[in-house]
Amino acid sequence: MKRIFPFFIAVSIVMTFSGGSAFAASADENYKWYCAQCHGSGGKGDGINSKDLPVTPRNHTNPADMKKLTDGDIENVIKQGGAATSKSTTMPPFGSTITGDEIKEMVKYLHKLCNC
Amino acid sequence: MRASKFLKAAGVMFFLAVFACIYAGQANAGAEDGKKVFAGKKCGDCHQTEGTATEKTFADKLKKKGPDLWFAGSKFKKEWLAEWMQNPNPIRPLEYNSIEKTNPGNHPKLAKKESEDATEYLMTLKSKDVQEGVIQEGASNIQGKLAFEKKVSCFACHKYPKLGKPIGGLTGPSLADASKRLKGDWVYAYLKNPKVLIPVKRMPVYEGILNDGEMKGIAQYISTFK
Ligand code: HEC
Ligand code: HEC
Ligand code: HEC
Repeated sequence: MKRIFPFFIAVSIVMTFSGGSAFAASADENYKWYCAQCHGSGGKGDGINSKDLPVTPRNHTNPADMKKLTDGDIENVIKQGGAATSKSTTMPPFGSTITGDEIKEMVKYLHKLCNC
Repeated sequence: MRASKFLKAAGVMFFLAVFACIYAGQANAGAEDGKKVFAGKKCGDCHQTEGTATEKTFADKLKKKGPDLWFAGSKFKKEWLAEWMQNPNPIRPLEYNSIEKTNPGNHPKLAKKESEDATEYLMTLKSKDVQEGVIQEGASNIQGKLAFEKKVSCFACHKYPKLGKPIGGLTGPSLADASKRLKGDWVYAYLKNPKVLIPVKRMPVYEGILNDGEMKGIAQYISTFK
């Protein structure tokens, strides 16, 4: 018990300061909740906000476009928004919204969408 | 002589006190009646009026049929509330919780007296996490404008007035006439401490992305939208 106690404290400290959502969601759930409003639920860049944006959201199913980005680029753009890759800031920053682990899962999810 | 002056003053004080009590009583009666209107019309079927927020997951949020009102007195301008509940024109371009369907615009309507009473009631619902008197409403703010339009492009999901015409995305509530509807202090508190007021939403958290000055600036900038 004495040994377990500090472990619990450590875990709760990490949970408190890790920011992000209070629960972990799968990449598919996160994509449909946050990204689909602009990128579309299938990732084609045709979400409901897209018509009113000055820049078209990236088509995540297009390998030619998605291959231009390294995994590091994708991670940064999700965390910090479009500014991270010198793109439009209408791509919002999600680094305080979803956790680092969820973002890593999201990168894998995008690879599945473009099949690349 | 002095005694009569004293009596006179005491008399005036007494009347003032009685008057204040009657006045407060009336406001209270309004709030009490408003609470009855709220219960009678089953507004609580779709609106949470007791804090704090309990939703934790997307599924919890999707179960909600309408926005929370437990902080309504901290969030809304009184005149706007009284008017809107009689003429509930869509605020959110899309149906609540949907990112596909248009807002059907079928919100229940209240008669004038019912709406005024319900307003008295809703204005008593305050959140201790919304500090009052922080944001100076109505003054332009360049730092806020830059953050809103350039640094993080809030308009990607929110309509706002640009050269007299509302432009922007559809998934967030329209901010086009926000100066009439929202209190600047609430907007600041919502940006600063988003998990307390609305923990689950499709809007990103800006803690650590915008600094305190930018959040205050944005709240002030939004308070000029009309
Ligand atoms: C408010 C609308 C909006 C939302 C929400 C949004 N995006 Fe974007 N996204 C855009 C726009 C617009 C672009 C294109 C920017 C450009 O080309 O300048 C973009 C571009 C991207 C890019 C390509 C960046 C590059 O450098 O080519 C990636 C990757 C991306 N988004 C991922 C996501 C993910 C993952 C989510 C959800 C967590 C998300 N986006 C949510 C609007 C949005
Ligand atoms: C069937 C569900 C439902 C019922 C019943 C209902 N509302 Fe609503 N209410 C909503 C929805 C959905 C919205 C968002 C409307 C919009 O954005 O245009 C809303 C918005 C509001 C708002 C503005 C809140 C905000 O955050 O924008 C107020 C105030 C309000 N309702 C009061 C009432 C009152 C008073 C009643 C009872 C007479 C009532 N509602 C009954 C669903 C409901
Ligand atoms: C990706 C889309 C998105 C972006 C980007 C976004 N918002 Fe939002 N915003 C929303 C949604 C969705 C809601 C509704 C939250 C809820 O009640 O579930 C909202 C709610 C709000 C509200 C409350 C409005 C009301 O009437 O209840 C304010 C104020 C607001 N956002 C301001 C901002 C500001 C300022 C920014 C930029 C710093 C911003 N938003 C960026 C989607 C967005």
